[in-house]
Amino acid sequence: MNSLLNASNKPPHEGVIDVSTFVSALQKILPVGAVILSKEGQRPFECDGLTVYQQLPLVTAMPETVDQVQAILRLSHLHGLPLVPRGAGTGLCAGAMPHAEGLLLVLTKLNQIVHVNHKTCTATVQPGVRNLALTEAVAPFGLYYAPDPSSQIACTIGGNVAENSGGVHCLKYGLTVNNLLQVTMVTIEGEIMTLGGAGLDEPGMDLLSLMVGSEGLLGVVVEAKVKLLPRAPRVQVLVAAYDTVTAAGDAVAALIGQGIIPAGLEMMDHLAISAAEDFVKVGYPTDAQALLICELDGTDAEVEEQLLLVCECFKQHGAHHIRIAKDAAEAAALWQGRKAAFPAVGRISPDYYCMDGTIPRSQVGYVLTRISELSQFYGLRVANVFHAGDGNLHPLILFDASIDGELEQAELLGGDILTLCVDVGGTITGEHGVGLEKMPQMPYQFGDAELAQFRRLKAAFDSEELLNPGKAIPTLKYCQEYRSLQHG
Amino acid sequence: MGDLTVQLEQQIQHAYATKTPLKIRGGNTKASLGRETSGEAMDMADHSGVISYSATELVVRARAGTKISLLNDLLAEQHQRLPFEPPSFAGEATIGGTVAANQTGASRPWFGGVKDSLLGLGLINGYGEVMQFGGQVMKNVAGFDVTRLQCGAMGSLGLITDVSIKVLPEFKAGHTLTFDMTIEAALEAMLKWANLSLPITGMSHFKGLLYVRLQGGAGGVASASTFLGGEKLASKAAEIFWQAIREGSFLQPRHDQTLWRWSGASDTLANTVPNTSLINWAGAERWVLTEALDTPLEGLVQYQGGDRLAEVYGAISAPQQALQQRIKHAFDPHGILNAGRLYAWM
Ligand SMILES: Cc1cc2nc3c(=O)[nH]c(=O)nc-3n(C[C@H](O)[C@H](O)[C@H](O)COP(=O)(O)OP(=O)(O)OC[C@H]3O[C@@H](n4cnc5c(N)ncnc54)[C@H](O)[C@@H]3O)c2cc1C
Repeated sequence: MNSLLNASNKPPHEGVIDVSTFVSALQKILPVGAVILSKEGQRPFECDGLTVYQQLPLVTAMPETVDQVQAILRLSHLHGLPLVPRGAGTGLCAGAMPHAEGLLLVLTKLNQIVHVNHKTCTATVQPGVRNLALTEAVAPFGLYYAPDPSSQIACTIGGNVAENSGGVHCLKYGLTVNNLLQVTMVTIEGEIMTLGGAGLDEPGMDLLSLMVGSEGLLGVVVEAKVKLLPRAPRVQVLVAAYDTVTAAGDAVAALIGQGIIPAGLEMMDHLAISAAEDFVKVGYPTDAQALLICELDGTDAEVEEQLLLVCECFKQHGAHHIRIAKDAAEAAALWQGRKAAFPAVGRISPDYYCMDGTIPRSQVGYVLTRISELSQFYGLRVANVFHAGDGNLHPLILFDASIDGELEQAELLGGDILTLCVDVGGTITGEHGVGLEKMPQMPYQFGDAELAQFRRLKAAFDSEELLNPGKAIPTLKYCQEYRSLQHG
Repeated sequence: MGDLTVQLEQQIQHAYATKTPLKIRGGNTKASLGRETSGEAMDMADHSGVISYSATELVVRARAGTKISLLNDLLAEQHQRLPFEPPSFAGEATIGGTVAANQTGASRPWFGGVKDSLLGLGLINGYGEVMQFGGQVMKNVAGFDVTRLQCGAMGSLGLITDVSIKVLPEFKAGHTLTFDMTIEAALEAMLKWANLSLPITGMSHFKGLLYVRLQGGAGGVASASTFLGGEKLASKAAEIFWQAIREGSFLQPRHDQTLWRWSGASDTLANTVPNTSLINWAGAERWVLTEALDTPLEGLVQYQGGDRLAEVYGAISAPQQALQQRIKHAFDPHGILNAGRLYAWM
């Protein structure tokens, strides 16, 4: 898609790699069927959730044990073959897109919940365990795993760790990094390493947090010990409708400023509300310009106390319609519209492109206004669905890839939105990661010194740049080209 | 008080050029933590002051030398607080040192540690390059998490120049309950209660009493209090107790004593950590005060006292040691920043 990107997607040992020796060694490590070489067999893995970036790998491996993962990494290291880890492939930044000259390491067969300790509220899981499968498995103990990406039915814990994924409950309970105690990873040399521990704060530098969000560039996660939370006795969901997105944005800032931190606080704009309502028919007010979905949790007494304050605050800021869910079924329905927002938007447009900038809450009104101006400028519709409490925006750019040039326009619009987020003091990605997709904006957010520091850090783990090369951290050459384009 | 970034940058650049070891010092309240080191003093206390504070955004950004006590006062004016309840060590502890030494109070299991509130920081690496990581927004996954990496690094990867921290509203109500309990009974009770989604913000056991702190909205606290029972502690006494827990003042080792810290799973049996003097964090942190100078206790960190030239943080695996050395080199190639403070080999 972008000539700059392709330039960095080259194997470091070009010409030296002996592919057939590599493959036969790989076949000795893994059972028949776990090494995929055919185009048809590898087709399902050619992209992640950001489907506009596609690439078939040289070979795909599906290990079932940690020993196999270690052996594969050693082999890749020995042969100097690039290696891309992959979970469920639901990522939205082309982080798991295969490398043309490399191996794709699919971790979904390492899918065991190794241990649940309901006393300490912790679980030890393999990386291929699906996020929702974990929450379902611990439900009998009255527990759940708090980070809940909308993709939780499919995405894996390994992918969540690699992206530091969040979800609608992250406002109160944090992202993956805040819910993790320990990670076991395999280094590119095939060495096993445990970061973090059974306790809360281990001595020394926080390597565990460094590993979180490292997008498969530093090591392969083969086990994670996560925190679980007790289910709150009472969960209350309500929605509030507004005539302008600015009013809804102000209500969010006021609520948080007052010291009320709901379990979740989401916003949808008019286009997203209509699309969701058409899709799931839960009774969202389709005349509203903005909808807030708020979830409170705690003991009965706590929830009652907060509910009064929230309703008062929402009304004060111009909510013209507030609906309080009467029971669990209605609460689930109100959430369903939000959780299905991406596919709902997918129904009203042939393609959509999801952005992930995060901004200070006070800038929500301004940024949404700017986005609608940009939307008019590019002639592409934008639906906004987002984690309002955290200021994490998900503008969905609607386009039609079959129309010549529209994809490029969508990308330009997306790029403008990301730089807008940086300009107001925010970031280009709140939870989806940089991957291949947001490489062009990395030099916009970071200076040369920071980028060089990232590269040196990467080299400390993987000096030959074999792990997920060409992603997340732009090379020096890439940055120089970027800067000369900016000034040229 | 003021912005000394330029001087600090020059001092490190000079030290880089001359390969001079530097010893970073904030309020000098943590000299007894980590290993004993030497080097040219790098004083941070004057590099201080709040850069920005937005009560509605729940974010405060301050220079590294800013005192915790000053931040607490500033936040209290807006009815807010630092979520990780760091010690202020007689008002002298600085926010930079707090992050570097990863200092968290009693609310750790419920409101997280330093890393859970840390949004971004400024760092000068061992080349003398001024850098910014993270930011002031709640979620940020662009680039590696160099910000959180600094927690517990004891200044060995860079000089922290400023930090951005997420703050939270003060609790509207709260009180502390006490229960007459042995260590064994207290560990069991803490495990059970931690599972119940109650507004608990502290559970510590000291001298035969289990202390349970409840904080939150008035209604939530009152109903949890009725549910748990126990004795209600007078508010002044409760304040003194939790302050002592936060400041570590119950267990100050004499010159011939050593204070050990154990960190692990909260269901670990009492006899696994014999002679525990104090239990914090609902059982996940335990403290042992010994008379002997340097008998190393297996798996425990030699927190204060004893031989400060020993590997006080214990040993780590060979591959991880090699990795940490490479990371150190990536930030500080000449090893001039707090050399040996964390490990002799770093
Ligand atoms: C409809 C939809 C909704 C979504 N909603 C959210 C949301 O609410 N919040 C959110 O944060 N994200 C969301 N996402 C994005 C995505 O689901 C997350 O990024 C998720 O964590 C990816 O998990 P995965 O298993 O699919 O990983 P993949 O896409 O397979 O991989 C993601 C990255 O992790 C690396 N990786 C995977 N496994 C490992 C491992 N074991 N060790 C090392 N590196 C590894 C890969 O190399 C890649 O860089 C959504 C995606 C979709 C399609």
